[in-house]
Amino acid sequence: MAGRGRGRGGGLSFTQEQLQALGIARGENTTATLAPPPLFPKLEAKPLPLSCDAATDYMLIVKDQFIEYLHETPAYVKPNLRTDGIERYSDKYKQLALDAKQGKVLDCVWVNMPAELRPQASKIRMNSRKRKLDDATDINKKLQTLEKKETLDENAEVETENKDEDTVKKENDDDDEELEDEEEQEYEIDEGTDYANNYFDNGEDYDEEDDNLDDGPVY
Amino acid sequence: MSHQLGRVVSEILHRYFGELVQQVGNDLFIYGSKPISMIVKTTGLPRKQVIESLRTLLKFDLASFEPSVHEVVADYKLLPDNVLLLIRYPRYLLQIKSKYGTEAELLVEELLQQATSTATGLLVTVATKNKDDKEKNITILKLKDTFVSLATAGYIQQAPVADTKEGSSDVPSLVPVATIVPDLDSRQLIHAMTTGSLADIKDNIYWKVNYDRFHQDFRDDIMVKAMTRRIDDNAGELMRLLLQQMYLSSAAWAAESNPTPALDIREAVRRAADKSLLSQHVDHYLKVLEENGAGFVRRVGDAGGGQLVVCGRRAAGRLLEAVLDHVVTERLGSNAARIFRLIRTKKYIEEDDIQKHAMLPNKECKELTYKLLEEHFISVQPMKKAASSGAMAKAIYLYHIKTHDVAHTAQELCYRALHNCLRRGAHERNAHARLRDKQRRVRTIVHGMRMRGEPQQNIDDVEETLTPPELAVLKDVEKRLKQLSAAELELDRNLFILNWYFMYPK
Repeated sequence: MAGRGRGRGGGLSFTQEQLQALGIARGENTTATLAPPPLFPKLEAKPLPLSCDAATDYMLIVKDQFIEYLHETPAYVKPNLRTDGIERYSDKYKQLALDAKQGKVLDCVWVNMPAELRPQASKIRMNSRKRKLDDATDINKKLQTLEKKETLDENAEVETENKDEDTVKKENDDDDEELEDEEEQEYEIDEGTDYANNYFDNGEDYDEEDDNLDDGPVY
Repeated sequence: MSHQLGRVVSEILHRYFGELVQQVGNDLFIYGSKPISMIVKTTGLPRKQVIESLRTLLKFDLASFEPSVHEVVADYKLLPDNVLLLIRYPRYLLQIKSKYGTEAELLVEELLQQATSTATGLLVTVATKNKDDKEKNITILKLKDTFVSLATAGYIQQAPVADTKEGSSDVPSLVPVATIVPDLDSRQLIHAMTTGSLADIKDNIYWKVNYDRFHQDFRDDIMVKAMTRRIDDNAGELMRLLLQQMYLSSAAWAAESNPTPALDIREAVRRAADKSLLSQHVDHYLKVLEENGAGFVRRVGDAGGGQLVVCGRRAAGRLLEAVLDHVVTERLGSNAARIFRLIRTKKYIEEDDIQKHAMLPNKECKELTYKLLEEHFISVQPMKKAASSGAMAKAIYLYHIKTHDVAHTAQELCYRALHNCLRRGAHERNAHARLRDKQRRVRTIVHGMRMRGEPQQNIDDVEETLTPPELAVLKDVEKRLKQLSAAELELDRNLFILNWYFMYPK
């Protein structure tokens, strides 16, 4: 308790001697300012002018060129266009410019990249998703629910689905790209025409959500 | 890895590669390293665009990757230092242009744009681009010679290659390879030029720019310039020769080079010969460099007419001091700089002594000292006397400078300023995007008309679509953008010196 004897109030304020040691004389205590400091305080000293010679000019030009070049290449990733539903005259031209750039892929040394970044990576990924359906219990469960809901086209649909899966399996065995593409198309056509298949897709989405949860991060 | 660094890096990525790459880069900066699926989750971007952004980052060596626990996918990691180098690209080009001429500049520029390229691919593209340029008179053979000399001098090096030995091809591991100066077949190159296809040539050695070699050049230039300004041209020349000798015997960034005999220097001066004054007074100049050369050069022995070493570490330290002095002067005024210098020379100093030695009014002196303390330019060490009973009055406060910490403060300041420049530039560009676009279009139209040789009247008509007030605004904006851009380059110079200092461990 010895330290508490000196000075009333909290122990935080300085004594007179200490204040004097800090260079604050008696009665000079400024009132506390409550307003926040300005967002853009005034500069106390004017900064030195920047050197502006031929070398700097050259560097500036080169820099602008470099940035412009980058903006033209696929390295500059553009977000998908958001439209507000209002048609504009300039839309047509914007679309043209966009189409010219679309479909171009950054040319990298693909061997040095992880497989998931390589151009065909998305396809591989899709297949690996489908592969998860191979799980027999999953299929049975799904089929049972479908049986309950559907009455007529059920048999036909199961057949096509099985066929699809078979081809997917085969494709996984050999990594032939052409085959993969063919399969891809076939699948898409099925999807487009067959009503039942479309219905089945919803089930897949449901499953996908589950997968994501399983794959989820370990925090 | 400070907050300010993150802000700068994010802003640079935005300027160079757009919004999405910025988002991905920022995400990676904050979380360290993570796989794609996590990036998708936190950024909320479509997977496809995340992949595209990552490709960009990896291509320009702004990120690295390594297999994650699952082995199939990779964890990505941002390399903030390399992102900062993007600002330095123009300086590389200026350096190579002044040293090796236009061809080298074109090659390095193309290589910087492509990030990595095969030798043949690079040569053929550059040659094709400049085929019609009669002034420069670029031929593929000249380019080839330049390429070989650049590779020999180490300005370009072979890019790391994927290790094929390990089984999993899903996530390759990159291994650096030793650069072998290529032996390019001129006939094949010319053939590729004429046919315009690279299909015939089997070339799978990729090249990239070796930043470190450029940084050595910058370092040498700074040291030579420092000596030139401190003493005179001849001393600068002598410093250059000393550095050349240093490269022969020691590592480029060694804190202290291996000793060089003064005899070798004398020999080198005699060979350089065009500086008659220097060759006459080599010994004197060496003496002056030693004694008055800010510690860049040190004599370590007397054998063989004197042994000299170049102290890279000391040089970096001295240059850093100069930078810090400058920063303090510009921010807090010359009186504060005086106090700063005083504290540095005295190493540890009490507050009362500062007042005495700095010869400033009591109050001002204290104010400035506290301001320096507040902005982290100086530090304070309380020394309590053990036996005394009083609390504060008996303690001694020793002010001193922790150079390493102050360097960090300066670095933060640079980052912040750089961020502000970029941000402000982006704002200006956004605010006047429409006008600038219009100007660009008018320029292209006028250019096209000139090419077609249309009458001056029509050209004037087109040019007049930009009204005088618009032109005035544009001029203003151009000026401001130019200033900001120049400021970025200057800041980068400072950052270079700071990084050089940090290169040597504490």
